[in-house]
Amino acid sequence: MTDRILHAPPDLDLFTRDQPRLDDAFPRRINADPETLERGLAQLVLTIVELLRQLMERQALRRIDGGTLSKEQVERLGHTFMELDKRMVELRDSFGLDEEDLNLNLGPLGNLL
Amino acid sequence: MSTAVAEQEVALIDLVDRLLGGGVVIAGDITLAVADVDLVYVQLRALISSVATAEDKHLLPRMGSAL
Amino acid sequence: MIEVYAIADHPGPPLPDVNGVRAVPAGRIAALCADVEETALSPAALWAHEAVVEALMEDRDLLPVRYGTRLADEAQVLRAVAERHDALLAALDGVRGAAEVSLRVVAPTDGPAPAEAAARVHEQLAGQARAATVLDAGESRDLLRAAYLVDRGGSAGFAEAVATHQRAHPDLRLLCTGPWPPYSFAER
Repeated sequence: MTDRILHAPPDLDLFTRDQPRLDDAFPRRINADPETLERGLAQLVLTIVELLRQLMERQALRRIDGGTLSKEQVERLGHTFMELDKRMVELRDSFGLDEEDLNLNLGPLGNLL
Repeated sequence: MSTAVAEQEVALIDLVDRLLGGGVVIAGDITLAVADVDLVYVQLRALISSVATAEDKHLLPRMGSAL
Repeated sequence: MIEVYAIADHPGPPLPDVNGVRAVPAGRIAALCADVEETALSPAALWAHEAVVEALMEDRDLLPVRYGTRLADEAQVLRAVAERHDALLAALDGVRGAAEVSLRVVAPTDGPAPAEAAARVHEQLAGQARAATVLDAGESRDLLRAAYLVDRGGSAGFAEAVATHQRAHPDLRLLCTGPWPPYSFAER
């Protein structure tokens, strides 16, 4: 894996994850909060989980519409997503985040969710 | 961060740019299972552009504001 | 589920015995794919996937397919590939005998960003490559992310060029990785 670095400067850290920069993507009012760092991370993590949940949900719906699942599978899927949804709300509440906080602005790509 | 770890990370960043942001798009769904949050944390942008490309090619319906 | 790894010529050389990869032919191209279990997204999973693509690339030209491209059966794979046969063949023609090299440019200090210098470096490197494209740098602090299509075996020479530009630009930091399968040149 690392044998594919063809040229690198000694200060390679400049190219690794730039965590403080990710604050730029967060809504303004979170930035003003003194507990920003922990909530910021929680916010990002939960946003990603929410994004993936939506992607998975869409894939599942596609399968359901495609009629290739049994009634039980459909019920189970529905139940799973309901549970996921409930869990998301719990997680958000425990970090004091609401729905809007999970909506990152991505510049040219518009809002995330 | 040690050099070895930094090297692994930058190689991974370039890999994910390609795997999730590049390559031929022939299907509307990209199958991803939620798992290693650390990786996803780093690669949020690549994931989004991956979905955006599939939407642009009309392989995925536009994601509305589902919240 | 069937995971599609790459698009290659059909017919082509015998496939390596890796992950049970097989070819689903459609006209003059084939989808190289394998039966897979659901895998969680992780660095290990991505590197494992990449290893398969690179093993395939050792003795054939190919277009790598986006990660996570999974279809229910071969009929669907065939349909998806046949639909875009001519465009895929044209893209494949564009990457024959080539590999991709990646470049990232950052400014080492806060302050006025030498974006112009980065653009100049890109232009000059592009002149030494078969093709070049700028990638989305997103919210990172990169001044530039780019990909270059170079002849196979040409990545060492390209790295030399990057090193030269690095020496000429102490106000920039250049990171070059590769060779990669031509992910950034697979879609027009």
